[in-house]
Amino acid sequence: MIHLAKEDIKHSLGKFIVTAMGVGMLLGIVLIMMGVYRGMIVDAEVLLHDLDADLWVVQENTLGPFAESSRVHEDLKDTLKSVPGIDKSEAITFQSIQLPGKNGGKKVRVQVVGYDVYGEINPINPERLVEGRTLGIDHYEIVVTDKTGYKLHDTLKLGRNDYTVVGITHGSVASGGDSLVYLSLKDAQQIQFSYSNKRIQTDKARGILNKDAHLVNTVIATLKPGYDVDQVAQEIEQWHHKSVYTRAQQKIVLTRNVIEKASKQIGLFTAILVGVSTIIIALIIYTMTLEKIKEISIMKLIGLPNRMITQMIVEETLLLGILAFLFGNVFAHLISGKFPKRIVLDLPDAWGLFAVVVVASIFASFIGVKKVISADPSAAIGG
Amino acid sequence: MSQEQAIKIEALNKSFGKGDAFVDVIQDASFTINKGELVALVAPSGAGKTTLLMMLGCVDAPTSGTIWLGEEKVYDNKWLTKETRKIRREKIGFIFQAHYLIPFLNIIDNLRLLPQANKTDDKQSKAKARELLKYFDIAEKEKAMPSQLSGGQNQRVAIARALMNDPEIILADEPTAALDMARSIDVVKMLKKIASEQDVAIIMVTHDERMLKYCDRVMKIENKGIVFDDEHTTKIL
Repeated sequence: MIHLAKEDIKHSLGKFIVTAMGVGMLLGIVLIMMGVYRGMIVDAEVLLHDLDADLWVVQENTLGPFAESSRVHEDLKDTLKSVPGIDKSEAITFQSIQLPGKNGGKKVRVQVVGYDVYGEINPINPERLVEGRTLGIDHYEIVVTDKTGYKLHDTLKLGRNDYTVVGITHGSVASGGDSLVYLSLKDAQQIQFSYSNKRIQTDKARGILNKDAHLVNTVIATLKPGYDVDQVAQEIEQWHHKSVYTRAQQKIVLTRNVIEKASKQIGLFTAILVGVSTIIIALIIYTMTLEKIKEISIMKLIGLPNRMITQMIVEETLLLGILAFLFGNVFAHLISGKFPKRIVLDLPDAWGLFAVVVVASIFASFIGVKKVISADPSAAIGG
Repeated sequence: MSQEQAIKIEALNKSFGKGDAFVDVIQDASFTINKGELVALVAPSGAGKTTLLMMLGCVDAPTSGTIWLGEEKVYDNKWLTKETRKIRREKIGFIFQAHYLIPFLNIIDNLRLLPQANKTDDKQSKAKARELLKYFDIAEKEKAMPSQLSGGQNQRVAIARALMNDPEIILADEPTAALDMARSIDVVKMLKKIASEQDVAIIMVTHDERMLKYCDRVMKIENKGIVFDDEHTTKIL
């Protein structure tokens, strides 16, 4: 039994493989784009996961603290304790800053998480702490991620003070992909809410007093077993005039509000890349068919049915698509670690792309098949 | 030579275009070619050789007329079957100016392609292909690719391919055009041998008058009609 597609590919194997590798690189980029999106979702959930809070209490009518600015008083964490069902509560600050680069290097954008070192909830996930310890005292200690470049016991200047690196984490990122650094609540509040001496002097002269030093961005809380999270949230909203989000709601806020546009952009970009890949596969198949048009005319002239010839074209297209998909996966896995942001290559995404590639290949093969059907057998006769 | 008819044409006409672009190529052509005959088709360029070949090969439809292939009437002012390609597959063998073998198939697979389309048993087609390769003295090349064979060897493979479906007629379009004199004579003698031994009618288009003496009859297209030139015919071969 002669297998036309197999024999044709065997005859020009090198060219076929190089073509598949080229298309594969394009498909690899598609996988990377999907991985960027998945990475954003994972990044967005790192803080939610590490804080492990059941409730997020923020400024009334805001989507804080990530999607919108939110300020609440620090002592809200004590007030919440009086709400039936609340187990632990903690005041947290979040602030984006430029961390000075090590040895005067390029500044690194990070998100500062401020928490009470002696409080009930520690936002530093022990699983991510790869070196050193969490914060032990109220001042001048900092825990950074390995991506900042700082090592244990390094010192760095933030605002007016020097901080010593006491711990290194790995994989701690904010929803935007910025690395997380951890400061004590007092230090974080000072950086976020304290003004310079000159500003304080000017404000005093104007009769304005700086009363904002004990503000935080959110108060998080965990529930005692047996309490309904929605009912407790409703109770807090009703009596304390705050907006309250459950963990699930905060996740929705993060994925829908914070990274929605970015994910749509990536989605559109991915769709365009899939479209471009389809067009490229179609063009390659069209060119491959054109290269064989004389042979196809001869096959038709000597009486070979269209079925045999179109089968060859469809099989070659499918094989090209599948091989390109395999190369794409290898390529994506090889380069995914080189990107500055997290790339998550999910198996379901790969299968999804595989299905798209198969459909796109079949679609692309129609162009070759059309050429086969319209090929004139009489072209084989004469010069 | 058998007296059994391989091709019979009656009142065949072929024209192209309409109005000012109307061209009559073949007018009222009638002839019969018997099995076992090697007939040369000679005409100046543009006279309609290829057009005639395409009509006989069931590729192009005549404007009017009747065509019999063997005892089967296949055209009577219209094709009498929808599957003209099946007629080609089962009754006609083609040989071209160049060998036009499928470059990505080895020699034996080039021969086995047509039987596969005819759903012939694999073993049977392999045996037949080997038999033909042996007949043409290229049995040892069955696994070679066309690119590894000489022009003459490839042309022999192409002739062998034309015989794989046990055709009633072979249409050869200038099969010696790409060969030197000695090889051209070899090929034409081979065609003559095939015609008589395999009892198949062969119509060979040629521009080379030196080949005509090896043919049983010479058919010419003159003034849009078909005439036979008996002067060139040899009875000795």
